[in-house]
Amino acid sequence: MPEMPELNPVIHGKLRLALLSLLSGVDEAEFTWLREKTGSTDGNLGAQLMKLEEAGYVAMKKRFVLRKPQTLYRMTEKGRAALTEYISALKELLGSAI
Amino acid sequence: MESKAKDTELTERLKLIESMVAEGRQSSESWGWTFVLWGIAYYIATAWAMWGHSNLAWPVTMITAGVVSSVIASRMTRGQPETMLGRAIGAVWASMGISLFIVLISLGITERYDTHVFMAIIGMMLGTANATSAIILKWKMQFACAVVWLGSAVASCFGTENQAWIAFLAATFFCQIVFGVYAMIRESQRRRSGVVHA
Repeated sequence: MPEMPELNPVIHGKLRLALLSLLSGVDEAEFTWLREKTGSTDGNLGAQLMKLEEAGYVAMKKRFVLRKPQTLYRMTEKGRAALTEYISALKELLGSAI
Repeated sequence: MESKAKDTELTERLKLIESMVAEGRQSSESWGWTFVLWGIAYYIATAWAMWGHSNLAWPVTMITAGVVSSVIASRMTRGQPETMLGRAIGAVWASMGISLFIVLISLGITERYDTHVFMAIIGMMLGTANATSAIILKWKMQFACAVVWLGSAVASCFGTENQAWIAFLAATFFCQIVFGVYAMIRESQRRRSGVVHA
């Protein structure tokens, strides 16, 4: 029996998966934009983004625009590779179901 | 039973990826208003040049429209992430606008202004920018606008001065005002269609 691929547990979380998918289509995104798109709370969003950052899948930077602080996130090459691998594994696991 | 539940969960994950990627890419595609704004600017410049007989009509109106567009765009896109697609389309229109402005100003300064050439250049440049955007976005309606602009450019080469103006004003109406309003309606429908939250 062929070995089934394992899904990356860091990406598998619903909110973390949504965040990586959102970031894959843009250059970089503000924290507030990610919150609006995912409908998540500040606390949960911050915690999940930190997990992705710790895994090296997203990079964060802070800046000031018109004296207001902005927190920006972008997907790293490692994150892009991990998401691609996750999608391949997902498709393989689903097989004929899709 | 357990396997079916797992399949459902995995399918949901796949759908979530698709919807979020699409959501991210859609974020900065809201440009219908610029077509309407520039269409109105062309009409103001044409009317001012015709009845005001001023050489400043076109440069002043175009610079004003450029400044107004930049201010509104920077306000509208504040907090919105930039996408590769948005940057590609923006680059096409920005380089078209700058090229058009430099060439037409040069023709004006050297007094080599000719209505036929003026209209042909505008029609050709707008046709090219619309065609490029249409090909990138796979948008047939915008490609039709490109054809209309190129048609007006050709018509201004062959027709009389009055015919050249009619072709330009008609192309402005259909490809700027009508197309702009249509694009705005489409964008508003897409925004209303809602967001899939994680």
